[in-house]
Amino acid sequence: MISTTAIAHLKEKLGDSQVLHEKEDLLTLGYDSTPGVHHLPEVVVYPQTAEQMIWAMEIAHREGLPLTPRGSGTGLSGGSVPVRGGMVIGLSRMNRILEIDEENLTATAEAGVVTLDLFNAVAAKGLFYPPDPGSQKISTLGGNVAENAGGLRGLKYGVTRDYVMQLKGVLPDRSLFCTGGKSVKDVAGYGFKDLMSGSEGTLGLITEVTVKLIPPPQDKRTILAYFNDVRTAGEAVSRIIAAKIIPSTMEIMDRATINCVEDYVKIGLPRQMAALLLIEVDGHPAPVAEEADGVRAILEQVKAAEIHVARDAAHAADLAAARRTALSALARVSPTTLLEDATVPRSRLAETFGEIERLTQKYGLKVGTFGHAGDGNLHPTVLCDERDQDEMKRAHDFYNELYEQVLASGGTVSGEHGIGLAKKAYLSRQIGEGGVRVMKRIKQAFDPEGILNPGKIFDEGDPCTTPHVEEGFRVSH
Amino acid sequence: MSLTESKERTGNFRPQDAPHYDDVLQCMRCGFCLPTCPTYVLTGRERSSPRGRVALARAVAEEKLEFSRAVRDEAFFCLDCRACTSACPSGVRAGEVMEVCRDQAQSFYPLGRTGKALREFILEKMVPSPGLMEASMLPTRLYQRLGIQWLVRHLKVLNLGPDWMAKAEGMIPELHKPLRPQLPPVVPAKGEKRGRVGFFLGCVMTLMYPSVSRQTVRVLAQQGFDVVTPRDTKCCGAPHLSEGDRTTARRLAKFNLDLFMAEEIDYIVTDCAGCGAALKEYEELLAESADQRSLEIFRSKIRDVSEFLFEVGIREEGLVPVNATVTYHEPCHLCHAQGISRQPREVIKHIPGVELREMNESNWCCGSAATWGLKYSEESQKVLDRKLENVRATNADYLVTANPGCHLQLAWGVREADMPQKVLHLMELMGRALPPDSE
Repeated sequence: MISTTAIAHLKEKLGDSQVLHEKEDLLTLGYDSTPGVHHLPEVVVYPQTAEQMIWAMEIAHREGLPLTPRGSGTGLSGGSVPVRGGMVIGLSRMNRILEIDEENLTATAEAGVVTLDLFNAVAAKGLFYPPDPGSQKISTLGGNVAENAGGLRGLKYGVTRDYVMQLKGVLPDRSLFCTGGKSVKDVAGYGFKDLMSGSEGTLGLITEVTVKLIPPPQDKRTILAYFNDVRTAGEAVSRIIAAKIIPSTMEIMDRATINCVEDYVKIGLPRQMAALLLIEVDGHPAPVAEEADGVRAILEQVKAAEIHVARDAAHAADLAAARRTALSALARVSPTTLLEDATVPRSRLAETFGEIERLTQKYGLKVGTFGHAGDGNLHPTVLCDERDQDEMKRAHDFYNELYEQVLASGGTVSGEHGIGLAKKAYLSRQIGEGGVRVMKRIKQAFDPEGILNPGKIFDEGDPCTTPHVEEGFRVSH
Repeated sequence: MSLTESKERTGNFRPQDAPHYDDVLQCMRCGFCLPTCPTYVLTGRERSSPRGRVALARAVAEEKLEFSRAVRDEAFFCLDCRACTSACPSGVRAGEVMEVCRDQAQSFYPLGRTGKALREFILEKMVPSPGLMEASMLPTRLYQRLGIQWLVRHLKVLNLGPDWMAKAEGMIPELHKPLRPQLPPVVPAKGEKRGRVGFFLGCVMTLMYPSVSRQTVRVLAQQGFDVVTPRDTKCCGAPHLSEGDRTTARRLAKFNLDLFMAEEIDYIVTDCAGCGAALKEYEELLAESADQRSLEIFRSKIRDVSEFLFEVGIREEGLVPVNATVTYHEPCHLCHAQGISRQPREVIKHIPGVELREMNESNWCCGSAATWGLKYSEESQKVLDRKLENVRATNADYLVTANPGCHLQLAWGVREADMPQKVLHLMELMGRALPPDSE
């Protein structure tokens, strides 16, 4: 238990409202968006500066508390859940945009800035920050970096890591760090900034992020295609990529998802269709037109049931917005929503869809699948009820078997959510025990005492003793 | 525990009127509600967010938490603006869960003897009795007539008292005689008759804005509808739900249900967004205490006046131009609780001569929220300031809304901020377009 003296010290240094320790606060800061994972911290602090953060860490050190960083708690792998209790360091109140450098095409912001706020601020200056996680209205930039968040535009523009130029923050030994800079080229030593991006808060606490900006695409075309079966949609994706067309977005939804989304947004999506693809091509007007024609031709070749081109920007925005609600719309259907982010090489999309269908039947589950088809990143989502033990067991077996297939086809167990708690058990299957060992040594080098976000990515101790899969994706209360 | 049993799980809640466990479990904690919640935006505190409040309710249901003072405080700190309901794709109704928690709070933290007596008098005796309500406004009217109000406002005497008193005094519009005793039981349709509607006259409308509801009746008649106003109409029950008194709310609901079901009318129309939302929720409120069939029929007849006019189609002949620019503030209980957003705008667009200038964040709460704006006057001011900033940017002549709570708050805010906009109810605006002889 954290001592009352420590609480008093924290309040003195950080201010009363920046230190929360009542049970009601702890209960509401021990979760993120990952189903079934809830652990209470002992105290939650909201530092306003790196110095205050060091102060808080110093007190945590004295009290022997592990540290868990937290943005807005939108993560889907349990990354910000304080599994070992201790101190949660909230970053959502460090939310100033510090600079938009139009000469260097960079933006610098505190870690708690909401992604969409940064996007809008740079857009107002005629610039473009491409990473766009599904939770962009809520998620923080620091959280995006820590989880290396992806998004709908990942196919053409890449993910968060691809835009990080500089990171500032605090290391577990309570020293400040700064890695990277505004220089476009920088090969001085190890690429710590790339290592930090996606480290899930296990190596250091990020306080400030400088990202690369690019000029916005001048033109955009949105195409919507419906299919009578999911495999054809998968085939269309593979063919478009094989034709060397890289759309900015190529999103897929299956029938279950289409119906849930339509129930929610009511924009007239046809409920009987097996799948839809939402494709956006953007860039300079001439190639955009050419690519849009190319996409259309391929859709016709594979015999898409219907092909629509968005009437105008507003219509296109409606379609994209509909896709953004997919996960949450599915969530209406059942009390518990288990979402995964299985990712396969794009040439294997059609067969992966086939596999999902087969396993859905085999385990008798309700599954909706949507995702970033263009980068092979699928979100098979089991709609279930956590109170039904048998259904939960079947859901677990479903994912277990699916991941075997995904790995066999050269895919990854996490395309964008991170390993966190949810995928720990699968990690060594993908990168091998040697790979896990190396990761642990890196963790050891940064955080020899193991105080920073313990229990994430892998368990401490022998890498061979991977926990049972069940614990991997459902940690009990 | 079997699945059926767990559906009824009430844990540390009082079993009667506990939040449904299924409703609470539905929250997947995606956080879509966070940026839409005024109290979260104000405090940055998770427990003051819809996601956090639902998590608290869940913890109480799962016996991980007592129904603590903090739970009670969060239930009352919630504005019940329902913006989170609009934002929640999973369909969680955090506002309603908190409404139920307010009722729970009364049994966990009962008031002292005086407080209890006062509360009982106001909620159980005064508000349900139109006569008492009208009588209670008499001193205020006298106070205004005799010019004392002018003196008080100008001498700033009230600044010496608690904030909410000064604000409450400042918010009260110039009062006229209540409308209820003046309205004829039936106002006949003008021109070709299109139907017969019941008019649900709300308490605040009759007492504070009689001239608005007079226009509503005038508009409905001019549009070709007989307007039936049952004189016995009682409060819709919304204030009781808001203060956590579901028992009296049920009693009033049952009374109004029977009253309107006895009338031969096609629709039940109201010009108060708060009343409309409450009436539409009678079905759930009375689920166990009234006949299901009549609840369904009653529910199917309720319309906000803008929803009604849009649905039946506005008869445009004879309307005279109102040359003005207006901006529209969406009452939470219209846009979030009833999903009515497009209809009031369509009504505005049908008024000849009017130019609608959209403000940013038109569906962001104004910070009134029944008594919230008085209880949390500092927070309310911050919510209001954001709204006024958006109004100011439109530079419109009029600020139009459709709910008396918003009307009071906005009119007060505009005056305090020295802004030029006049606040009008949508029906007042439309009333200006009616030919003078349509009285």
